Amino acid sequence: MTESALAVVGQHELLMEPSPYSMDKKKLGMWVFIVSDACTFAAFLFAYGYMRIGAPVWGTPFGTSSIVNGVVMTAVLLSSSLTMLAAVRAAQAGARSSARKWLGATMLLGAIFALLHLREWFKLIDEGWRLFYNPTGGAAQFGATFFSVTGLHLTHVVTGVIALAFITRGYFYGRYDESHVETAGLYWHFVDLVWMFVFPLMYLMNAH
Amino acid sequence: MSSNRELTMSSYVRIGLGLMLIVGIEVVLTYQHLPKRTLLFSLLCLACFEAFVAIMYLMHVKYERPILFWTVFPATLFVLVFLCYIWPDAFRMFNMRLTQ
Repeated sequence: MTESALAVVGQHELLMEPSPYSMDKKKLGMWVFIVSDACTFAAFLFAYGYMRIGAPVWGTPFGTSSIVNGVVMTAVLLSSSLTMLAAVRAAQAGARSSARKWLGATMLLGAIFALLHLREWFKLIDEGWRLFYNPTGGAAQFGATFFSVTGLHLTHVVTGVIALAFITRGYFYGRYDESHVETAGLYWHFVDLVWMFVFPLMYLMNAH
Repeated sequence: MSSNRELTMSSYVRIGLGLMLIVGIEVVLTYQHLPKRTLLFSLLCLACFEAFVAIMYLMHVKYERPILFWTVFPATLFVLVFLCYIWPDAFRMFNMRLTQ
């Protein structure tokens, strides 16, 4: 950008009112994304609710072992939220080494959550559950709704782990600052928040 | 912009433990053989409370300017309530099938 262009931009910024939100643009953008993503998850969960109400017989495939697995998954995801908070606080305090360690712990917990999730999926598939087949003879839509909702959530977790890996690397090399870590943290907490609805609605409501 | 009134890390750990306790209550309720409607209502109330705590404390909305809360949440709630309103209309499709 030329010097004259820079001067124009500078004058323009002086003329503009400050943002009423008083927050980083990345963070505000993440909030907009979170709102739209919340509506996507809500649409999936509403669809599941209506299909379930509409079906005369619904599958209840989850025994005690699956529920225990779900509780462990919840504990892992909640712990990862705490490690993410620790990473954000360390980054804000300028403790880069500590922030990297907490980000690493968050990624590890995210990966453990994904593995536990996949184990549950494979268990159901081994029992004969498919997207459009219910081995117990109940509504075939159970598989479609369960795999769609949990699959969408799993995609968010895996995407979050990959994004955190990029943020950690960028933060390590100084390309990213604490605002990037904070924005990634916002996304990670949202993934945790969604699970607070997915676990009771998809697992607990389908326990036998 | 986050303020300096933020909680300490030990307070966040206590919030995390509180959320885990709520998950425990949800599991206990599941095995009380409650009617499905009562169970659904109880689980949804607890999940909404958990979500509220997570939004306010873990996502730091409590420490942001109130305008963020008033911009984001009424609009989101409106969309969610509207989803509730329009979804039952989808059942009309069953009566709109073309007969051979």
